[in-house]
Amino acid sequence: MSAVTGTNIGRIGQGEVGAVLVADRVSKAFPGVLALNDVSFEARLGEVNALVGENGAGKSTLIKLMAGFYAPDRGEIQVDGAPLRPDPASAHEAGIATIHQDHHLIPSMTVAENLLLGRWPARFGMISRAEMMRQAESALSHVAPNVSLRKLARQLSPAERQLVEIARAIAEESRVLVMDEPTTSLSTREVDALFETVALLRSRGMAIVFVSHWLEEVFAIADRITVLRDGRLVGSRPAAELDRDAVIRMMVGRNVEQVTTQSVTPGPVVLKVENLTRAGVFDHVSFEVRAGEIVTLAGLVGAGRSEVVNAIFGADLYDSGAVTVEGVALPRGDPVAAMEASIGYIPEDRHRQALVARLSVRSNATLAVLEAVSPHGLINRKAEDRILKNTVSNLGVRMASPNWPVSTLSGGNQQKIVIGRWLARAPKLLILDEPTKGVDVGAKAEISEIVVGLASEGHAILLVSSELPEVLALSDRVLVMRSGRIAGELDRASLNAERVMTLATTG
Amino acid sequence: MKFDPKIEGVAERIRPKRASNGGTSVIEAVQDLGLFIVIAIGAIVLGVLSPVFFTRLNIENLFFSSTIIAVMGIGESFVILVAGIDLSVGAVLALSSVLSVGLVNDYGVPAPVAALVALGVGALIGLINGLNVTLTKIPALIATLAMMSVTRGLAFIYSGGQNLAPVPDFYVQIQAARLFGVPVIILFTLALGVVAHFVLARTRFGRSIYATGGNPVAARLAGIRTSRVIFLAYTISGALAALGGLMITARLEAGAATAGEGVELTVISAVVIGGVSLFGGEGKIGGVLLGVLLLGLVQNAINLLNVPPNYDYVVSGLVIAVAAALDVYRRSYLEAGLRRRANIVKSEPRK
Repeated sequence: MSAVTGTNIGRIGQGEVGAVLVADRVSKAFPGVLALNDVSFEARLGEVNALVGENGAGKSTLIKLMAGFYAPDRGEIQVDGAPLRPDPASAHEAGIATIHQDHHLIPSMTVAENLLLGRWPARFGMISRAEMMRQAESALSHVAPNVSLRKLARQLSPAERQLVEIARAIAEESRVLVMDEPTTSLSTREVDALFETVALLRSRGMAIVFVSHWLEEVFAIADRITVLRDGRLVGSRPAAELDRDAVIRMMVGRNVEQVTTQSVTPGPVVLKVENLTRAGVFDHVSFEVRAGEIVTLAGLVGAGRSEVVNAIFGADLYDSGAVTVEGVALPRGDPVAAMEASIGYIPEDRHRQALVARLSVRSNATLAVLEAVSPHGLINRKAEDRILKNTVSNLGVRMASPNWPVSTLSGGNQQKIVIGRWLARAPKLLILDEPTKGVDVGAKAEISEIVVGLASEGHAILLVSSELPEVLALSDRVLVMRSGRIAGELDRASLNAERVMTLATTG
Repeated sequence: MKFDPKIEGVAERIRPKRASNGGTSVIEAVQDLGLFIVIAIGAIVLGVLSPVFFTRLNIENLFFSSTIIAVMGIGESFVILVAGIDLSVGAVLALSSVLSVGLVNDYGVPAPVAALVALGVGALIGLINGLNVTLTKIPALIATLAMMSVTRGLAFIYSGGQNLAPVPDFYVQIQAARLFGVPVIILFTLALGVVAHFVLARTRFGRSIYATGGNPVAARLAGIRTSRVIFLAYTISGALAALGGLMITARLEAGAATAGEGVELTVISAVVIGGVSLFGGEGKIGGVLLGVLLLGLVQNAINLLNVPPNYDYVVSGLVIAVAAALDVYRRSYLEAGLRRRANIVKSEPRK
């Protein structure tokens, strides 16, 4: 990566430090809400500025102002001292590239075509393939030399897609790169690779704005940390002057304690998985989960953990092996049978796998207990409201109205609605796949507490988590998976971060 | 279960019920009213342009002529709500039409039995559509397009391409029957709409329809047998299309294999104008009936204002496009409003 000379990257900024993109005391109101209140922000060349804050703090509004999606009501967005015209095309021309959470690649086009999207080199209206490949190659070589330019975007892994988008920013000769939670779907190793790339871009003088929920990452990459809370700027200080607790205090305005599980004597075996195998995905996976126990599948993204729990619940098929719940064998690929055997399942991707976005909060809260709330097939609104009320008060859901679409809730509250849907069935085994993914710090701690509380009440818990602090804090036992196999097992006594990572990467 | 969240206070999580419920129902009312207002304005304009419009005979005729599309539209709504599409409804109508006459005239089957057989055949065709979509996983557009061709062909084979007549008195009598001075067919169609609305809004099956159409993966993982829901939706559509076939037989006084050619597009237009999302999971029967009424109004206007027959298609198409565009605009406006209000709640100070 060091031999980068005479390239697009080499030309930008030349390492000078200056505020290229400035938000000057901007305010943005939506009717009834002041989403941003008098916030100033600077992206400086050669600096990584991490933007943090809980959901609803105003991060996304600020990013959208900088990307030209909205115009500020008061204040101004300036690029090189000149006001930015509020439309995305102008922001692009001004050299601001934004990588949104939902990827903006065209799945059916090749990497090369995506890299030069809309700016394909053409002669007489015919795309010049050789020239396109040359330009794409030069942009991609710095960030992802191993990705083939001829691959279709849909064949890329999430990490590769991210890198291609960064390469696109380079191809556009952007000077400011805004990344909105770029690490959400990446494994630890991929995050490291991403950070190397970010560091390279920084050293070449690019200004980088980095949004993340994960403070470890923020401290690993940021030169400066800017904290927003409730639409206001709390502070923007050099990362060296801050530590994790200080940032959390700035974010939530109070101290947050890390939840930990209390040791309990586990009860009888609830779930038994024997030699579960699906060719090329997971291989001879065997383990047990007992009542009152939190067992965590740890490992890197792509190790096959979600695939295993998917197969256990029946969301997917498996080739061989057996799943038994309290001694009774479960049929393959039948979620209804799994539910009848008292398994609850909170899937990894709640938008795709758990929520019906257009249905109301109430309907989503009772989706897994439809039979219980509809005796003789008729929905009983009172029965629904009872379940919703339990969920709201036990799990602490914040919402405007149960009649509104569930999509109007914040991520943490959506997740609580999904959890509540399963708790209403009082499952003996609850499977939670990355339950705190994409929720804010406060809701994260609450969900962790819910999980610990459930285990202490005697529910067997099978957790999948990629967040090491969560794995360490919550688990009674950790099964570390690597390349579809269980690489090792750690109990509370032998559990520490190094052992988990060692097993995950080399075990 | 007891928790003691340290981060946020648990109290005051739900806002006063009346305010929020009131707000929602106003938004919903406006959403449903939008189409109603368009129809009302259209009716007033038409009333000014044509003295005939506001006569009892014309209004009754407007409703009466809309009933077939309404019945088929109700069936099609179930399919579109599960994110499917049923192109075979026009052909099912034709097959039902020739069967309902042919079975009586050729085999001496009593007319009510022939009608039931025709409905059963329609339901069966719907069920096959459903199985094709769920089991063999043929895309709905292709599966029902093929079925449209096969079914239309069966109607031609059965009838030999001839219009079958006479139509049994049984059908004609039902068509002519009145209750409180209103044609029974109109009352029946409205009742069918009420039942369909109730099924969708208040039953487990209805909820399963919305969930399956809104997010099939989430529905399946929440324990809903989505395949069963989908093929039931197609079965309903087939049966109601066959019912449309009985109705058109009475109206044409013939069993005709050519009946209802292209009607599937009118039906789908009405459903979509009525606010049912082609992506599934969203829409109400009340809206669909208004969508049908709007299309009926356009047809009525074309007749009353003596629009030259050759302009008929262009005018209908333009009205559909304008109505759909207005609807998209209105809905995005309302949705933005809803989102803004949700944001207000989210950004309320904590504690």
